[in-house]
Amino acid sequence: MGIISVEKVNNLFWLGRYTQRVYTTLQRYNTGFDEMLDLDVHFFEKYCEALNIPNIYTDYENFIKSYGYNTDNPDSIISNLYRAYDNALVLRDYISSEALAYIHLAQFQLNAAKLSDAPLIELQSVTDNLLAFWGAVDDSIDDAMVRNLIKLGKKTELLDLKLRFRAENEELKRVFGQLDFYLHRVDISYDRVAYYEMALALEKREVDEKTMLESLENLILV
Amino acid sequence: MLELNKHVNTVNALLARYGVKFGIYKNHTFKEQLFPFDTIPRVITHDEFAYLEKGLSQRVTALNRFLADIYGEKRILKDGVIPEEFVYSSSGYLAACEGIMPPKGVYSHISGIDLVQGKDSEWYVLEDNLRIPSGASYPLIARDLCRKASPSTFKRNHISDNRDYAALLKETMDSVNTGGINVILTPGRYNAAFFEHSYLAEKTGAVLATGNDLAVMGDYLYYKGYGGNNQKVGALYRRVSDEYLDPMTFEETSLIGVPHVFDVYKKGNVALLNAPGNGVADDKGIYYFVPKMVEYYLGEEAVLHNAPTYLPFYEEDRAYVMEHFDDLVIKDVAEAGGYGVVFGSSLEGEEKQRLKDLVNEQPRRFIAQEVIDFLDLEVLDRDGVVERKADLRAFVLTGADQVHVWKSGLTRFSRIEGCSIVNSSQGGGFKDTWVLSR
Repeated sequence: MGIISVEKVNNLFWLGRYTQRVYTTLQRYNTGFDEMLDLDVHFFEKYCEALNIPNIYTDYENFIKSYGYNTDNPDSIISNLYRAYDNALVLRDYISSEALAYIHLAQFQLNAAKLSDAPLIELQSVTDNLLAFWGAVDDSIDDAMVRNLIKLGKKTELLDLKLRFRAENEELKRVFGQLDFYLHRVDISYDRVAYYEMALALEKREVDEKTMLESLENLILV
Repeated sequence: MLELNKHVNTVNALLARYGVKFGIYKNHTFKEQLFPFDTIPRVITHDEFAYLEKGLSQRVTALNRFLADIYGEKRILKDGVIPEEFVYSSSGYLAACEGIMPPKGVYSHISGIDLVQGKDSEWYVLEDNLRIPSGASYPLIARDLCRKASPSTFKRNHISDNRDYAALLKETMDSVNTGGINVILTPGRYNAAFFEHSYLAEKTGAVLATGNDLAVMGDYLYYKGYGGNNQKVGALYRRVSDEYLDPMTFEETSLIGVPHVFDVYKKGNVALLNAPGNGVADDKGIYYFVPKMVEYYLGEEAVLHNAPTYLPFYEEDRAYVMEHFDDLVIKDVAEAGGYGVVFGSSLEGEEKQRLKDLVNEQPRRFIAQEVIDFLDLEVLDRDGVVERKADLRAFVLTGADQVHVWKSGLTRFSRIEGCSIVNSSQGGGFKDTWVLSR
């Protein structure tokens, strides 16, 4: 492939971010659903606060439906999967039909889960297809730049979510290390000040989530 | 074959998995629809294909000569073979293309010729599509999946492998390339044929681009790489129609084209596939004259026949059309995609009179054709095998040195009994087209 346009760089990066967002939030959604059964019916309030999304949910049942499957809710898992699909669809020539097919399948499965009597069990197929997609990224994409841009997006999103869910410093450092690895394997501009601020805060164990999130948003210039 | 039919649902599920869809706008809303696939193929024998190949190659060669003539010397008009007004009143004629010779002299690189086979086994050309004909990707991907679903079917039958389409297309692009990369220009993901654009880019190794990814700098067209890493474009397989291709020359409000790309083309610094202005040759009115073009340019009799056609523009034909209105199908030359097609027999009273009046008032706008009783093909339906009307879009690829008829094609069928409109936008499905290798 060799040459990638500005728009495609953007699509690849955000494909990585949205697939990671769907994957991670699906895990949290499953955990939260379980907790809400007998421990904490207000789990979703804390969840919305952590993600900084509006708490529009009337109760936990409404959260399960709307956050999981409502396409009119811009913060829902299904809306994020549609955004991953929007980015993937225009990248067929870069990521291959094989890899793109797993995003299609994840979308089919999430829509099927919406109508199912046992939606949580059905969600496993969505997770499986996202994992298969990432496998296909490694297996079907020859161009290292293309692969690394997706992975850079993926690690950026993972660090974002880890920060929001207040992960331990060591965990944050580990994910930042992964992000750093891909950042230096793609030929794109980044904000060096933001980069060093993040690295320093992690090294000194002085992470302020809000400041870190701001630096992270400014880090990649695509 | 029976073995393959057992897998019809699996093959359709796999087509969905790979996103084989077409987009459609209904009530101002964009929807993606699956294109239903029928595993019973259209089978064309080796000898029959040899006949079609000869006729299609001849027809497309004549059409290319016609385009070169119309935008050049205009001999065919001067010699009175085609009335001038048929050319200059055609919405596909572009004055801006006057005097331009495209790289290597090829106008229609990818031609989609629509044919039907009558019950008398005779093939008739219904339409020439020389602008941006779509559809090759569907039998291409379907064949791949069918071979996986039933390898024995393909082992037992001698079927020409159609999976060379991408290689032929690449060869065509390369042969006219003026120096640079091959790019497929798409209007974007909300275009009806976006699947095809992206699939062909993947298979040919061309770069898929939207107008925003391209820019004219100096006398050349460039693909804008990240960080100013621009790459010269030598061949642009544009899937954007003429009017939206360049806002500086054509429709100025176009956001999907590339400003000044037409200037680069004029200077011979990029090949546009297909060339702008081809619409003048696939106009439904001009279609009537194609057999005459074959005789005029090639000195040969046309191998393939048109469906018997009448031009209300000629007084004699108009009188015939009025007299035999119920036996004819009336087509508005400005419409496409199965729209603007009216069977005279389907109209009654005032409605019929209104159309007759319109034909009398604007005779250049319409053509009338005999209704061909075309061969029904077997289609798998929920209730078993049924018979449905079907057409064939054959693809002819013309490069700098050769004309190649693809040994396959898109067979489209109507899913409604007795209905002759087979377009996907009207709910039709598709079949693979097998050309037997011996």
